Amino acid sequence: MNAPATFADDDKSEQPRVLLVDDDEVNLMLTAIAMRERGFDVIEVTGGEAALARLDEIAPEMVVLDALMPGMDGFQTCQALRALPGYAHMPVLMLTGLDDDASITRAYRAGATDFFVKSTQWSLLAGRLRYLLRASRTRIELERSKFKLARAQDLARMGSFDWRRGEGLGQIWLSPEALRVFGKSSDERVSVRDLLRMVGAAQRRGLIRMLHEVVAHNAVLATDVSVMLFDGRQRVVHVEAEAEFEHGHGIGYTGVFQDVTDRRVAEDRIRHLANFDALTGLPNRRQLIWRTERALEHARRLGHSAALLLIDLDRFKNVNDTLGHAAGDELLMEVARRLRGCVRHSDQVMEGALEAAGTRSHRTLEAVGRLGGDEFVALLPEVTDEADAERVADRILEAMREPIFVAGQECFVTASVGIAMFPRDGLNLADLLRNSDVAMYAAKTAGRNAAIVYSPQLAGRGREKIELESHLHKAIERDELVLHYQPKVDVRGAKMVGAEALMRWQRGGVLVPPGDFIPLAEETGLIVPLSEWAVREAARQAKIWQQNFGFADSIAVNLPSRLFERSDLVENIHQSVSAYGVPHKAILLEITENNLMKDLHNVSLSLHRLNEIGVEISIDDFGTGYSSLAYLTTLPISELKIDRSFVRDLGITPQSSAVVSAIIALARSLGLRVIAEGVENLRQMDVLHRLGCGVMQGFLFAKALPPDDLEVWLKQTVLPRKAPWIEAAGEEPVPRVLGRV
Amino acid sequence: MSEPSDASRSAGLIAAGVFDAQALARLQELDPGGKGGLLPRVLATYTQSLQRLLEQLRLARDAADLQGQRHVAHTLKSSSASVGALKLSALCADIERRLRDAAAEGLAQDLDPHLDALADEGRHVLAVLRQSETPRA
Repeated sequence: MNAPATFADDDKSEQPRVLLVDDDEVNLMLTAIAMRERGFDVIEVTGGEAALARLDEIAPEMVVLDALMPGMDGFQTCQALRALPGYAHMPVLMLTGLDDDASITRAYRAGATDFFVKSTQWSLLAGRLRYLLRASRTRIELERSKFKLARAQDLARMGSFDWRRGEGLGQIWLSPEALRVFGKSSDERVSVRDLLRMVGAAQRRGLIRMLHEVVAHNAVLATDVSVMLFDGRQRVVHVEAEAEFEHGHGIGYTGVFQDVTDRRVAEDRIRHLANFDALTGLPNRRQLIWRTERALEHARRLGHSAALLLIDLDRFKNVNDTLGHAAGDELLMEVARRLRGCVRHSDQVMEGALEAAGTRSHRTLEAVGRLGGDEFVALLPEVTDEADAERVADRILEAMREPIFVAGQECFVTASVGIAMFPRDGLNLADLLRNSDVAMYAAKTAGRNAAIVYSPQLAGRGREKIELESHLHKAIERDELVLHYQPKVDVRGAKMVGAEALMRWQRGGVLVPPGDFIPLAEETGLIVPLSEWAVREAARQAKIWQQNFGFADSIAVNLPSRLFERSDLVENIHQSVSAYGVPHKAILLEITENNLMKDLHNVSLSLHRLNEIGVEISIDDFGTGYSSLAYLTTLPISELKIDRSFVRDLGITPQSSAVVSAIIALARSLGLRVIAEGVENLRQMDVLHRLGCGVMQGFLFAKALPPDDLEVWLKQTVLPRKAPWIEAAGEEPVPRVLGRV
Repeated sequence: MSEPSDASRSAGLIAAGVFDAQALARLQELDPGGKGGLLPRVLATYTQSLQRLLEQLRLARDAADLQGQRHVAHTLKSSSASVGALKLSALCADIERRLRDAAAEGLAQDLDPHLDALADEGRHVLAVLRQSETPRA
């Protein structure tokens, strides 16, 4: 089998066919023999007339003509050949005498590709033939690919253009395909001004400004422009071009125009499909989530309330079962229509920035959407109170009262509505949805066709959860909670400089990891007594260690942000440390960056007061949140804790060390301590050390240990200086990459 | 009647003093060992062509047809060079140049002595060729 790329010229490349024309039989014969020997397929013809007559039949790849022949000479033959269709680019070699300058000039004038002085040095002639053949094949290939490109561009409704700087708007050349993009035929000329005129006046000024800007910097041009073609059609044309340079100066641009109207329409359609329910045309779950998040953001910023109404049709399943799905769909469409009338519904697809629309823009978020099945949601971005939300709910129930005609009969439809208020019943979409769901089920339980506002008493929880919760309640009194301590180590001095307290739950002999009960504790509010206990316990431990080995550092306790919001936090901590007779600084509080940012305003007051009494604050998981750097300078923070995700990749990805060194530099310039967590191997330690972070915690040194084990670790590992990391850290850090020539 | 071998034929032509050894050697290179019968074929073609062209030259001189004379000179120049009849080729080249100059400058030259020399050499070459066709005793 032949490779597909070569199938067309298989024979030709083996034995290129040459038509040799010479009236002198001796030369004709000798040249033919010599060229055959050198791999050419030579067809001999003794005169110009005969050559032209047999041209199509012979179908040569090239023609060699003796210049001087009786009858039709080489020049005339060449001229006649060029005039034949399909032979404009056929390579023609003219054979001339050595001292015949006039013939050379005439040969070119007659359209010969090249001339060759007759000689018996056959290899020279063969070389020349091969050269011409190669040039010709390259040319044919080029023509082919030009043709293919033109076709491809045509199919893609695309065409190329060249623009050169010059007087005024400069000069532009459009390929025939590009002209077609603008509805012009290939023999028409179009100027830059013509093109700009197609752009609507509103857009034109901005476009011109942008073009000036791009051209001034020889920047890449890539933009979509809406144009009205000469025949009045509206199209969207994508322009993409790059600057062309000559001697380092931008002389113009070369690029393409492409009609992307269809793609634009399709994109709009896709966007609509992605955001709206196909059956009812209402915003779908995705769009609802997007709108709700924006609405809550806005409400949070401006400090007003918002409401989420979960609407579930009563006994909708009956309709589907008795009248069929088509009838069910019909009914849902009618319900959607009525619901839409109950709020200031806006159908705008929203994905981009909302800010542009002004301060009341959140009003446009108001909508009824379909979550799926017979579940709908009404989002009220701004309500004064819950009565406001209840009025909308009543309107909804009222709207359902009229019977709906489907499948030729009257259907009476009612709905149950659950109302959740922001911020009272939840701070985020998930909480609000869950609580509106709780309220909606309460409405169903209460006999349907009703609206109920959420209250915590309504929350019916899963049995397992309740059980776990009740056990967790008792865990504190039963002394089932313990703190394990992971040492913080100064690797340069090979000493412990503090510890982080991590909570464990010993439930019936099994150690429950924090991930299994902390979220529940947070959800139920139990996190508050749990955290208070942790602070007390840490203070107690600090005292024991102080007595056992003179511990004078601090124990870090993780606190959730809601605890910082409590007014009695400072008093609690004061009492805890006082009870055990340790200084305030024995307790260090860790708050994650995300938690801190979530409620910066409320938290910051607490932080200042804690700082005043000597309790230091550390920012946990630093680098993963979306902090504004401004808060770092205003909050009384003592320490940044580099998130373990950056430490993990140290020495593996350059990005991680870039982030780490940025955090270290930041901490240094703000006068903060910096500590790395999650250090697991010497490589990470080494890199951190070299970057200037000397305090670390992680498995390399010790996992979180029960307090007694920590003492053992200190005695057996740290004090005798017997650990790989102590040896490694003992060496002066050497800048391995830089330095050392 | 047996044909003379390529080698003995070439030797004869060279010995007669009108054919160039190098040119003949180059011809033989095109057909190593003479298997393709190239040399006899080329020489036969050349002999016929020479005979015909000499006749054409005579007619052209009778008719004072300068273009015809020039064509003969041109053709005979290159084919003679190819087979190694260098003296004849040189005479042809000389005549061709003179005829071209004459045509270009409109000068009437007396070319008769040159044309005679050409015809004489042509006949001489022809005779040598004919003689070489039969093996020497």
